[in-house]
Amino acid sequence: MQSNLMPTVVKRSENGPFMKEPDFERALSKRTAELIKQYGLKFNPQTPVPSDDDMADRLYQAGVDLFVELGVLNQTTERRILFGRDEVEELVAKARNKLVLGVGKDAVIMRHREVEGETAAVVLSGPTGTPCSEKYHPLILLSCAQEPLVDMLGAGSVSTYMGNQIIPGTPLEILGARRDAVVARDAVRKAGRPGMHISDVAVPLTCQGKMAAVDPEYGLRTSDAFLVSQMVEMKTSYDQLSRATYLQGIGMHIVDLMTPLIGGLGGGAEGTAVVTIACHILGVVLYNASYHMMSHTHMRWVNNTDRMGLWMQSIVGQALSRNTPIPALNDIYCVSGAGAEELLWEVAAGAVAGTPSGMNMQGAGCTGGFKTDHTTGLEARFIAEVSHACLGMTRQHSNELVLELLSHYEKTFNEPNRGMPFNEVYDENTVEPKEIWLEKYQKVRQAVIKMGLDLDGGWRKVKHG
Amino acid sequence: MANINDEIRNGLREALINGDSDTSVNLTHQALEQGALPLDLIQQVIVPTLTKVGQDFQDFVIFLPELMASGDAAKKITCILEEVMVSSGQSVSSLGTVVIGAVENDIHDIGKNIVSTLLRSHGFKVIDLGRDVTPSAFLDAAQKEKADIIAMSSLMTTTRPSTRSTINLFREVNLRDQYKFIVGGGCITQEWASEIGADGYALDAASAVELCKSILAK
Repeated sequence: MQSNLMPTVVKRSENGPFMKEPDFERALSKRTAELIKQYGLKFNPQTPVPSDDDMADRLYQAGVDLFVELGVLNQTTERRILFGRDEVEELVAKARNKLVLGVGKDAVIMRHREVEGETAAVVLSGPTGTPCSEKYHPLILLSCAQEPLVDMLGAGSVSTYMGNQIIPGTPLEILGARRDAVVARDAVRKAGRPGMHISDVAVPLTCQGKMAAVDPEYGLRTSDAFLVSQMVEMKTSYDQLSRATYLQGIGMHIVDLMTPLIGGLGGGAEGTAVVTIACHILGVVLYNASYHMMSHTHMRWVNNTDRMGLWMQSIVGQALSRNTPIPALNDIYCVSGAGAEELLWEVAAGAVAGTPSGMNMQGAGCTGGFKTDHTTGLEARFIAEVSHACLGMTRQHSNELVLELLSHYEKTFNEPNRGMPFNEVYDENTVEPKEIWLEKYQKVRQAVIKMGLDLDGGWRKVKHG
Repeated sequence: MANINDEIRNGLREALINGDSDTSVNLTHQALEQGALPLDLIQQVIVPTLTKVGQDFQDFVIFLPELMASGDAAKKITCILEEVMVSSGQSVSSLGTVVIGAVENDIHDIGKNIVSTLLRSHGFKVIDLGRDVTPSAFLDAAQKEKADIIAMSSLMTTTRPSTRSTINLFREVNLRDQYKFIVGGGCITQEWASEIGADGYALDAASAVELCKSILAK
């Protein structure tokens, strides 16, 4: 097939089977339920990290079936974009298994990771998915960028420009997008890592807003990335496809953003896992994505650190690792916020579950996105430390650890500890964590070391071999 | 007029819970043939059953596909019952009319869809405008449908201002006081609802139903 599939995608968007969106959703739910039975997929809350290779492979096949049979709904044309099984297999096989992100001394290589493998996960961090104020967003970005174990920088969502509410599609959106691109670039410069990969500017919602953030000198460059979204579940539009086309044209990294909802159209954990596999295939086939951001959340708590969310991360990671060459990335999304011990337990569980399952790391999303500025770089440091201590770990061992980690926080889901805003846990001048936050970090860190994780040796091995 | 036969009542409940539209429709026809009143079927069977389904969804006992299937089945039999009521000269009443939509620029509508399903199953007339709904579209629909409540959802902090501009448009044309405004969605809080002058805020779909009921009871 051609390297630029967009003409084909548009042709199929215009000529594929017509289907109203509610009918597409019902068809997706129905077929997913059938596939769960057909492939014998079963979530076990006692095994958030399953060690069942065969189930991982069956899950992958179920996801391929869903993608091939149902296709992707183009919301613009209300038609399904269909690709044949042979086409899917060819495109997945040709997907990149590693990529250089960033430039110069600050570049990192994100790789396809093996289940229970020794390849280190790369760590993307920033206030992704957490709302930020105009005042503290630059400091929060810097707090992440300056963490030596953080490899790439994500973006926060800021809703104002000089105190004015940003209205999408207006000049304020362009101003906000360019401001946040500059702020992110400034953060990596201040951190002494000017070539660090920046993943997205989250302010703009429109295509033109995203494009406005591209600025080789002051904003985002081709070594950086923008997210191209899927709408839940398995839907795209000409707007999103146009973003992918533009990014492909200028040689900039495309990140396939999926946000499957546990309890949503896919049903429970098994069905949402099937949908998530299909979403990854969508990202390969339609978006030609450099990497894929799996950002699934529980419909009620808006996190993925519960048993269903962890199981999904693990089994989807394994299915992708065993059946595709793609580098997969999981966004650890938590109910707790900065300054809360629970947040550290949550991110530790996410890293322990994901690392032996073939995932790269992203995080932390804090407070389910409910609180502004309740996020810092310290929890990102902890994700990296824990992940690097899990290299080569068996899934069975990972499962035992995750069950213990869950006991420290899962009872708080209905009344979560949202923690504190950035300025209460970090010094605004030095951009260093305050004692109140460091004490909690040290306490949880020591407890995790007692569980047998070599938090000091792990990252040393990754950095120095 | 006959009471609802227990076998049919239980069968209809089960069919609704299972989202079995065909069986629901068959049992509804049987109940009507036996002389059951449409209003009794709605009040004694459909509303309590769908309330339980809604609670089970809220408690994560069931998931969205099951909720949607139950809602679809309930919608089909409600249409049948309304036709019978209209043809016999009875007025079809609802708890109230809700115009609902995801605000301008917001393309995330799954939460709004769930609220629509639950409101319908509780007896509200719901006019769902979909996503990316402009303030003027809310205004047009409110007037055309003689709405009681305008329900707006917003997931993104960057689309949240549209909830304010929608209410402001109603103020500008002196229609603000004719309607009640409620807001919800990922980025909405009670503080925001108060700041923009909304009449209510709901954290989730179930509380949106209760909020609508309490607003109209005043």
